Amino acid sequence: MSQWNFSFLLRRWHVVLDGLYGTLALAAVTLAASLAIGLVAGMMRSSRSAPLRAAATAYVEFFRNIPALVQVFWFFYVLPILTGIQENAFVSAAAALSFYSGAFFAEIYRSGIQSIERGQWEASKALGFRYLRTMRYIVLPPAIKRMVPALTNQAIEVVKLTTVASTIAYHELLYQGQLLSQTEFRPLESYTAVAAILIGMLVLLSWGSTRLERRLARTE
Amino acid sequence: MQYQWDFSVVFRHFDFLLQGAVGTIELTGVALAIAMPWGLVLAILRILRIPVLSQLAVAYIDLFRASASLVLIFWFFFAFPVLIHVDLGPFSAAALALGLQAAAYFAEVYRSGIQSIGRGQWDAARALGMRYSPAMLHVILPQAIRRVVPVIFLRIVDLLKTTSLAAAISFDELVHHAQRLASDTFRPVETFTVVALMFFVTIFTFSQLARWLERRLARSD
Repeated sequence: MSQWNFSFLLRRWHVVLDGLYGTLALAAVTLAASLAIGLVAGMMRSSRSAPLRAAATAYVEFFRNIPALVQVFWFFYVLPILTGIQENAFVSAAAALSFYSGAFFAEIYRSGIQSIERGQWEASKALGFRYLRTMRYIVLPPAIKRMVPALTNQAIEVVKLTTVASTIAYHELLYQGQLLSQTEFRPLESYTAVAAILIGMLVLLSWGSTRLERRLARTE
Repeated sequence: MQYQWDFSVVFRHFDFLLQGAVGTIELTGVALAIAMPWGLVLAILRILRIPVLSQLAVAYIDLFRASASLVLIFWFFFAFPVLIHVDLGPFSAAALALGLQAAAYFAEVYRSGIQSIGRGQWDAARALGMRYSPAMLHVILPQAIRRVVPVIFLRIVDLLKTTSLAAAISFDELVHHAQRLASDTFRPVETFTVVALMFFVTIFTFSQLARWLERRLARSD
């Protein structure tokens, strides 16, 4: 039996902390961007204009059906060509994961928007509201409430996805774990610690989302 | 800066990418062979409410669903061998990580199928003198599995997508071959564009098949 020894983590806590910061920063930026992209695409998917619907469908099907890792590599190599900026792991990973996850968020928004009865739209029209104002004041508030469980599930997926950025040497938890494993010769402890920290974060996140769901359910 | 796209190099080495695709399919197949039966065992353990065993099944399912696939792959490749004193190659490590994780997802799919079958079916089987296992095997499971076939399809497609992560431990699948081709030809953009399209065509076709199956099964139900 091998001897478990986690003591090096205490000595090199700043390496872990850097990774935690990298994961949180990438997750936050990706989450914000993919929620926005998803909202626009989801609204387009449920609009009455056929070209808008088609464009959004193409986006969703395309980005949802290509592995996140392939998209991360693709953005990593394409962004410098398209924009002329230096290869940047954070920007590439954030862009790729936002488009990938945005496609999943779009489907959540779409089903939420479509779950609102037609009567709400008609009533809003009768009051003289245009499309965007109807969306903003009548349709989205109750729709988003219904979407909360699905949205928080996808948010958890986003946090898990950030580990993929380690493949282009972005300094998040998994990458820092690799670093520790190689310098301390303790792969068992390093990777177990990474897994435990990530799961801890997700348990916190899902605990928070359950509380949020319960609060929203009371106000329904 | 004007970039000159050149796909010809990629197509000249297309057979190398296809070799990678074979690796992808093999890994998906072996992971599935682990996940589908093991998931069924987990689902039944969870439903049966046997003290300790059911809780263990729930803990297993929650733990694997909360883990990032890439972390699991690294753990099984670098950490697990230290624990068991046996070296796992990239194929075994990836198949084990992805198979054991997919089992947790499959367990939830089976469970939702089994629980969607009405109590009346259990009562009828009992009235015919069937005990628990024959009732489950001959009455409940055939109906339950039929109902979840489209979801099973989507899970398989998801697994296929996830196998790409095995490239990170240098398993010879499509993405890893793409990485090697990209560094040999200095054409990463073209290579990954082609690979992205290969994945898209395969996965999109399968997802459409799942949707078609869903509509057909809904009609005949």
